[in-house]
Amino acid sequence: MSLLRIEGLNLAIHDYGILHDVALTVEPGQIVGVIGESGSGKSMTALAVMQLLPEAARATGRVVLDGQDVLQLSEADLCRMRGRVMGMVFQEPMTALNPIQTIGDQVAETILVHERVTKAEARDRARQALARVELPEDRFPLTRYPHELSGGQRQRVVIAMAIALRPRLLIADEPTTALDVTTQAQILTLLKRLVQEDGMGLLMISHDLAVVADMADHLVIMRHGRVVESGPSPDLFHRMQHPYSKALLAASTHQPDRAAQPQDMPLLQVRGVIRDYATARKGIWGKPGSFRAVNDVSFQIRRGESLGLVGESGCGKSTLTRAILGLEEVQAGQILLDGQPVFTGHRPNRAVRRRMQVVFQDPYGSFNPRHRVARLVSEPFHLLDTPPQGAARDAAIAAALESVGLSADDRHKYIHEFSGGQRQRIAIARALIIKPDLIILDEAVSALDVSIRAQILDLLADLGDRLGLTYLFISHDLSVVRQVTDRVLVMQAGRIVEQGETADVFANPQHPYTRQLLAATPRLPDFENT
Amino acid sequence: MLRYVLKRLVSLVISLAVASLVIFLAIEVVPGDPAAYMLGMNAQPDTLAALREQLGLNGTIPERYLSWVAGMLQGDFGTSYTYRTPVAEMIGERLWISLPLALYALTLSTLIAFPAGVWAASRRGSAVDMGVMGVTQLGVAIPNFWFAMLMVLVFAINLRWFSAGGFAGWEQGFFAGMKSLTLPAIALALPQASILTRVMRSSLLDTLSEDFIRTARAKGLTRRQVLWRHALRNAMIPVLTIIGMQFSFLMAGAIIIENVFFLPGLGRLVFQSISARDLIVVESVVMLLVFAVIVVNFAVDVAYAAVDPRLRGRR
Repeated sequence: MSLLRIEGLNLAIHDYGILHDVALTVEPGQIVGVIGESGSGKSMTALAVMQLLPEAARATGRVVLDGQDVLQLSEADLCRMRGRVMGMVFQEPMTALNPIQTIGDQVAETILVHERVTKAEARDRARQALARVELPEDRFPLTRYPHELSGGQRQRVVIAMAIALRPRLLIADEPTTALDVTTQAQILTLLKRLVQEDGMGLLMISHDLAVVADMADHLVIMRHGRVVESGPSPDLFHRMQHPYSKALLAASTHQPDRAAQPQDMPLLQVRGVIRDYATARKGIWGKPGSFRAVNDVSFQIRRGESLGLVGESGCGKSTLTRAILGLEEVQAGQILLDGQPVFTGHRPNRAVRRRMQVVFQDPYGSFNPRHRVARLVSEPFHLLDTPPQGAARDAAIAAALESVGLSADDRHKYIHEFSGGQRQRIAIARALIIKPDLIILDEAVSALDVSIRAQILDLLADLGDRLGLTYLFISHDLSVVRQVTDRVLVMQAGRIVEQGETADVFANPQHPYTRQLLAATPRLPDFENT
Repeated sequence: MLRYVLKRLVSLVISLAVASLVIFLAIEVVPGDPAAYMLGMNAQPDTLAALREQLGLNGTIPERYLSWVAGMLQGDFGTSYTYRTPVAEMIGERLWISLPLALYALTLSTLIAFPAGVWAASRRGSAVDMGVMGVTQLGVAIPNFWFAMLMVLVFAINLRWFSAGGFAGWEQGFFAGMKSLTLPAIALALPQASILTRVMRSSLLDTLSEDFIRTARAKGLTRRQVLWRHALRNAMIPVLTIIGMQFSFLMAGAIIIENVFFLPGLGRLVFQSISARDLIVVESVVMLLVFAVIVVNFAVDVAYAAVDPRLRGRR
């Protein structure tokens, strides 16, 4: 008998169908990966098993866990099952823990809710659970609060809470999406180990084919609330039938065509840049400390080149971006665009500033929701001494929108009327409108679904060819950097530890950190042969 | 934690010093000659000189400020010009009414707001929620002096349960004193309770939609357990802010209600001394109220840290 058997699961919120006839099974000790893009219903399937659905959701069908149909159980019975028979790990480790309770109390709570044990005994078992997720007490005492831990450590605490009672089924909803690649690899290894030790079933949900392909025994591909294809992994990759599965696989490894050849002339020169931040004072009368976020960084980008910058969160990528854009002054070194400094006499140099633009990660947060697209896209005009007026301005807005594949009529709309991918197109239109030479893409495709990401990468390649743009492509996602850049810089703790031709660095990494990053990056099975 | 409290204490002392300087400048320096202001246009030169002498106006400005502060630190607030009694004594008497009244009103408002806010939030969108929201809307909208007069009409004049005004005096016993403060406290608490209920409800609803609530539910906690164990304490921070602001307001802002009920409280004292141009009293009472506000804010800051470990600083 399967541990979990979902049959004919339909789910609607206010008569709007979310899931249609979903079916899947999980056996004890098996890892089942559910893959899909946003809106595919993968998270709703998980929440339906936990019965933690939104208020207005109505589910029909059968969700049989350990012999019981959870759709038929009372809320009281469900509370007895959650945490004991089924546990769940969520995407956002930063917010998944109660900020004002110690990690020991939070893990012990799982035990106290379900079993009649003393507080001391619950703490003792919480200690064991935390040790199992590699948070030993001598380094991570139970009295720690969540804010004293990193994202990866917090995710371990969430896992400890979920597995404290050794449940039969663990559901992990994008457990590593918010984490760095090396942390991701550690968490995935941990999950695999726990599955082996406890013989529990793991339902692993992800948008990232490569992450799941590495560890799942069985794959389920979902789209628009339906299961389009499923089968054992890794065979499924070779026997995919459904066009959507094939498209998803193709998009994950998509390589845009780039015709442009970089010229020999350097466009951006960064020489010995140092950026220090003041940190909190030690005591009331103490001196503020200082933190070196960017440490003696030098590199250059040739005109027409696409340069990648990779590194984990906190390595100084974003600080370096702000310095290049002239948003902050550096403590030492020089940043020159076409020989002109971005900062002159403690003030940003407007003449340089207007020749570069940036596209950020968050397609939702980087626009003012109360402005129309025309105003959003024309924001960079304030950098010009004589911004175009009237018809010239309208023409510039229309041209920018059309160049990113939108229509000129979209100018009258508000940002909430667009999808994530369209918003990122608008962000690119905003960057293009003053015809810059350099565009900095700061995790610009990281929040997008793979198929949308492939389209945006194609668009960027096409624009680069047509307009002779130079790109600085900043990302934590090595596979994307590999596909779209000519050269790559690897940054660690404020320093550039390795740089070179992208193909060379990926094929033959020199620095131990680069090797570590590459080893941690999940790969699709087909990829390994090429 | 200790370091956090010490830091807040330093900022408390600095705030008090700045506030005292501003009050001193605004009352004694900016208007020109306080003695001439107090006595009016037809003052005799010798009375003026005598008052100047009494007010200590003959020194330099820094000397006068320092002696004022030094006096206050020793409990000497000067002598009222109109009443000819020490200001410290007058404030002491009034404080014994205003402080219990503020505490009484705040207790009432908290006792109403907590259950009502939690009740409404736990049944979001239900008839209970809409009922509570409707009543609190009214509570905010109704002017409290009008509500006070209504209560006097019903409970004092018709039912004769309470006296219509005045204060029995604590020497009549604790309950007699509290009884004369009951109607004013209710009148003061009504709008405060309404605001606090709404803040409590919305803060709790915000907290209930946080990710960690879902995590707690996934551990097997019931809705009720999640509300009491995880949501409530996290929802307290905005509520504490409002309680702090309300206490300060209740100390200083009860002027109208004190007038409606003829209570000899601090509010009435400020009101009377401003009308009588008794700057010595005004200055001291304002300083006292500022002191109360700053101390309450300090207490709220410490309460924040007690609730939220992130504010206590790293160990």
